[in-house]
Amino acid sequence: MSDLRRDPIVGRWVIVDTDHPNSPQDYGHEQYIPKVSGICPFCYGNEGMTPPEIDSIRDLHTQPNTSGWQVRVVPNKFPALQIEGEIDRRGLGIYDMSNGIGAHEVLIETPYHNKDIPDLLNEEVEKFIGMCCRRIIDLEKDKRFKYIMLFRNYGAAAGASLEHPHTQLIALPMVPKNVMEELKGAHDYYEYRERCIFCDVIRQEAQEKERIILENKYFVSFFPFVSRFPFEIWIMPKKHNSHFCRMSAEEIPAFSAILKDTITKIKKVFVNLSYNYIIHTSPINGDGGSDGYHWHLEFMPKLTRVAGFEWGTGFYLVPTPPELAAQYLKDV
Amino acid sequence: MPELRKDPVIGRWVIIATERARRPDQYAKGAPEGPKEEACPFCEGSESQTPPEIDSIRPKNSAPNTPGWDLRVVPSIAPFLRIEGELDRRGKGLYDLMNGVGAHEIVIETNKHIESMSDLSQDQIAKVISCYIDRIIDLEKDRRFKYVMVFKNHGWSAGAGMFKHSKSQLIATPVNPKRVKEELVGARLHYDYHERCIFCDLIKQEIETKDRVILDIDGFIAITPFAARFPFEVWILPKKHSCDFVSLDMESRQNLAKILKMTLAKLKKGLNDPPYNYVIHTAPFRRHKSGYWKSIDYDYHWHIEIMPRLTRVAGFEWGTGFYICPLPPEEAAKFLREVQV
Repeated sequence: MSDLRRDPIVGRWVIVDTDHPNSPQDYGHEQYIPKVSGICPFCYGNEGMTPPEIDSIRDLHTQPNTSGWQVRVVPNKFPALQIEGEIDRRGLGIYDMSNGIGAHEVLIETPYHNKDIPDLLNEEVEKFIGMCCRRIIDLEKDKRFKYIMLFRNYGAAAGASLEHPHTQLIALPMVPKNVMEELKGAHDYYEYRERCIFCDVIRQEAQEKERIILENKYFVSFFPFVSRFPFEIWIMPKKHNSHFCRMSAEEIPAFSAILKDTITKIKKVFVNLSYNYIIHTSPINGDGGSDGYHWHLEFMPKLTRVAGFEWGTGFYLVPTPPELAAQYLKDV
Repeated sequence: MPELRKDPVIGRWVIIATERARRPDQYAKGAPEGPKEEACPFCEGSESQTPPEIDSIRPKNSAPNTPGWDLRVVPSIAPFLRIEGELDRRGKGLYDLMNGVGAHEIVIETNKHIESMSDLSQDQIAKVISCYIDRIIDLEKDRRFKYVMVFKNHGWSAGAGMFKHSKSQLIATPVNPKRVKEELVGARLHYDYHERCIFCDLIKQEIETKDRVILDIDGFIAITPFAARFPFEVWILPKKHSCDFVSLDMESRQNLAKILKMTLAKLKKGLNDPPYNYVIHTAPFRRHKSGYWKSIDYDYHWHIEIMPRLTRVAGFEWGTGFYICPLPPEEAAKFLREVQV
């Protein structure tokens, strides 16, 4: 008999196949091998091909928009949202709309064209994570923005349009729906119990142990009891903190290490895996309470073809139980 | 300037990226090479290769699980939910769970090896619709179930199986799916305030502005929604208010078959047979028309959502419920209006 499990935060039910669970081999995932083909705008020497950089970490005495950088942030050349202008919310009969104001930036994590996070040195990952925080802290000053989304698409199957590894940042004038639901769920729990639900999740996971992948002084990575996708992973700070960018100086190396090691492990089970991850953090500039919210990273391997059932209904089928997924990773 | 648009029913914002709009021919076409056609278990003559049929349309005096049928319903070979057993709802620390009880059925829409529903006759599609209705009515008798989801996966990257044989699926669940719940809540909020159905309001506005209407025939309307998540997303709605798909009369079933066939044919011809999914959104079972369900007959409006799989959905969309649609729905509607079928 398979399980129906309910996400304690947003209340979503998912089906977890405990009867005939899929093993990693059953997925036959599309392997992603980056080719070095043509001219890459994110590689050394091609700095002129991107819009002028917003920020960078680079060698002393090098000029912006020249080589010699380690991490580079540029505006997205084809932005989904535009930075200039005032927000003009309006109605259109029964519909609501707004002009598309926002920021859309690309963080080029490394000058190396085909190095994924597991291939980088810890210090390199730290620099890049530090830059993520720095960009958010800067964009927070813009009072038009209510939410900053940080996400990474790696591999063609995961929707990455450029091979060179990069992270994207989108600053929005409103809080996205899924985040709103999470905030509401967390807030309701907090109101009732005066505890953070994510802290409780960590406590329960630490007790049960069966879904945990890795743990260090400040962070834990695990397969959540209720996931939407097989081998979905969450990385969470152990110390309660509502905002990603407010990570302490000691936490940044710990986070970088657990991120790198977790991806390394899953990529051993799924060779040349495509994946997405997203940082879930609290809204900025006072929209929506973040009482009881706890920032975390959600990692989603691209293993299945998502079907109409999931899209249309928000009801997900998970062919590998998280407990079993943890077993597979433990053996790596 | 791109636009941010809000879905009026469930309140989801989407980005309509007007300025980097891609024309239809710029989307990647087709899926990777699918599996080869072998002896298809869904064709006439292969009845023994499926689990025994649950229902079928076949001449009187022809025995179940033999040739001669027009349409068949069989249990899924690999069901996620099991029909036997009790729900046994329980807690585990702060988590909730229950047994995976439910039904998972396959509707084989034709006895011939035809891949696209749009290539079936209108009559045959009307039979498929009638079959959905019969199955939903039958599954409603099982009091463990709250909802029946009817959906179709066409094409490999939309999740279709190995064999290119037109079929749809039904899943009966012991809980109401989240997406449906959100629609119900949104529709009721609108009704509480305006005392009108939000979908009826939406249909009225679409007919007035015309920009997003693809077809408007025989009591049904096919539109691209204002806050589309995907390029060429299409909704088909009955113009006459009804919360329940099951309430369709015989004539309306024919009319729905007609608009569904035409819409799918337009997508197939205009976009070179794209993979797609459709899902029927209808009211949950209402065994007690009190309390929670008091106004559902008035506030909710069943419809079909068709989602072509032309772009690869990235992490951004998944994790946030915030979609970037690279083609304004007005342009998609204009394009589909002009495709002759």
